[in-house]
Amino acid sequence: MPNKKILIVDDDPDVRHGMQVRLKANHYDTFFAVDALSSMVEARKHEPDLIILDLGLPAGDGFIVMERFRIIPDLAVIPIIVVSARDARANKGRAIKAGAKAFLQKPVDTAELLAVIRQALGEPAPPEKHVVYDLGSE
Amino acid sequence: MNEKPLQVLLVEDNAGDARLLREMFSKERPDSFELTHLTRMSEAVIHLAHGGVDVVLLDMGLPDEHGLDTVRRSLAAAPGVPVIVLTGLEDELLAAQAMKEGAQDYLIKGQIENRALPRALRHAIERHRLQTEADLIRTHQLQFKDEFLSHVSHELRSPLTAIYQFVTILVDRLAGELNPEQHEYMEIILRNVKQLQSMINDLLEVTRVQAGKLAIELQCTSVADAIVYAVNTLAGAAAAKGITLSSEMVRPLPSICADPTRIRQVLIILIDNAIKFTPANGVVKVAARLTAEDPNFLVLEVSDSGCGISPEMTERIFERLFQVADPALAGRKGLGLGLYICKELVTRQGGQIRARSAPGAGAVFSVTFPVFSLASLIAPVLRTESRMESPVALVITQIGSQTGWLSDAENSHWIRALLQQCLHSDQGVLLPKMGSAGAAELFFILAGTDGIGAEAITRRIRKRLDGYESTEQAGLTVSTSYRSLKGIKRNASESMESFLEKAAATIQGLINEEISSRILANA
Repeated sequence: MPNKKILIVDDDPDVRHGMQVRLKANHYDTFFAVDALSSMVEARKHEPDLIILDLGLPAGDGFIVMERFRIIPDLAVIPIIVVSARDARANKGRAIKAGAKAFLQKPVDTAELLAVIRQALGEPAPPEKHVVYDLGSE
Repeated sequence: MNEKPLQVLLVEDNAGDARLLREMFSKERPDSFELTHLTRMSEAVIHLAHGGVDVVLLDMGLPDEHGLDTVRRSLAAAPGVPVIVLTGLEDELLAAQAMKEGAQDYLIKGQIENRALPRALRHAIERHRLQTEADLIRTHQLQFKDEFLSHVSHELRSPLTAIYQFVTILVDRLAGELNPEQHEYMEIILRNVKQLQSMINDLLEVTRVQAGKLAIELQCTSVADAIVYAVNTLAGAAAAKGITLSSEMVRPLPSICADPTRIRQVLIILIDNAIKFTPANGVVKVAARLTAEDPNFLVLEVSDSGCGISPEMTERIFERLFQVADPALAGRKGLGLGLYICKELVTRQGGQIRARSAPGAGAVFSVTFPVFSLASLIAPVLRTESRMESPVALVITQIGSQTGWLSDAENSHWIRALLQQCLHSDQGVLLPKMGSAGAAELFFILAGTDGIGAEAITRRIRKRLDGYESTEQAGLTVSTSYRSLKGIKRNASESMESFLEKAAATIQGLINEEISSRILANA
């Protein structure tokens, strides 16, 4: 089976790079976009299975990206995960309403990010590690 | 100077007192004051709602309202209009209390000296104006600080993200093997990144506390779930220090009235602190039980076998920016905001936080939360409009366009519970949100209130909910539909059971009516 394709939309080159290394190690192919406009172009070009979207982008933020994707049928079906440094309390609900599958706050816990990606792609979760906590007796 | 006459509203039912005051006004320049005289609070409230009043002269013993509630109602009807209370000689204490409630001044009947009245009025207006102005400036300053800190923390998070990403890439050996020493150093970097991250979060949280924007969504919450979550979150940190982290719950535990994410936050701060101040091989324990003194509260305790706190410090540790003085004990731990945030979170949810300790003997942090009761939730909303002759019911229910309404069985179960609470509290109730699918909507049913009362309460509830950022986040929309339930009355001969049955059926009928009218409107 070919690797799933993920489009990373983030204006910070280091964050893009870090994300790429991590996703490659987990057998995903990655592509980049740096703003609202290029996200559309790159999504058309590579037809990704999933988009990781930052909110604070130059010339039109992540919400605008989601709005535009939603009205184009072949783009509207691509699941979007918002990964942003913006405050979760103020933005999570809005992002979900705008159509995002999940909102994760930067810096994102690696395991959490991978779990959310797998879920959005409908991939099975890896076998869980078992941890036993002592929660006292009834 | 050509000023408009000041609009004075005199609310006084005693004809003699009113005449005396009128006479005082008649001595003033005719274009300086315009007096409106009313004798009842209900009339005054309507008059104030229309606007245009500059100052209220308020008697505190009216036929339809008495004491401090006169001031509360006047200020609720027109928050921007200063109130001067009129009292008798023996009521000076009451007058002082009225000023605490927000009255600008008081005048003692029969003791108002010549020409003192216009001066008192002008002073009250001027003081009120200055106060409003100062409040406005403060609000602007807080807003600026809020925006600034939010901006700064956002900007700080971006580089932190890149650091975190690449450190974890190295730790996970994605860029090749590390020798044990390199690995150790990487772990140190990672630990500090996490510390920095939590400091940024604390900064934002404190801004919210000070701006009064701390979003708290009270609902029926399981304590056990919160404890399990918090213990799981910190199990790793405890294990890394060789600390035994355990929990102890005396069951069955009642649900509490709290915001589930906030109670987890409180527990995490307290457990995290306990782990920090407990040496290797120590013990940190989380316990929950009902209090012996007050069955309406549940106590959560986080105890540790750490270095303890000296008794004189057990109050001070909740102050903002407080840090333990002994660097050997504390190390570099954070901004000193954790316990301050904790205290704010707990008090805002109607609870208390306390610390008990002796140096060397470990510390116990105990937090109380009110046990969930429907009536307690709505009480603050109704504070100023609480003078209801009949109970007020408030129903929150969920309308998912796809999911449909709750089943009749579920609905009537909730409604019955609601009514029961309603009748016991004489105040009103709020139902928690149910389920999670679909958009939640609030739907109010206000019983036994006239149109004005119902509207005022609805406005107030809306305003409160608008203040919660999380309202939008939860996908909650607020509708202001309300129905008066004046018709529901219990006959003297009627059993409580049969009354509840009847009332539940009526409310159910109104809800059904509301649904069909919406469906029709959408068709």
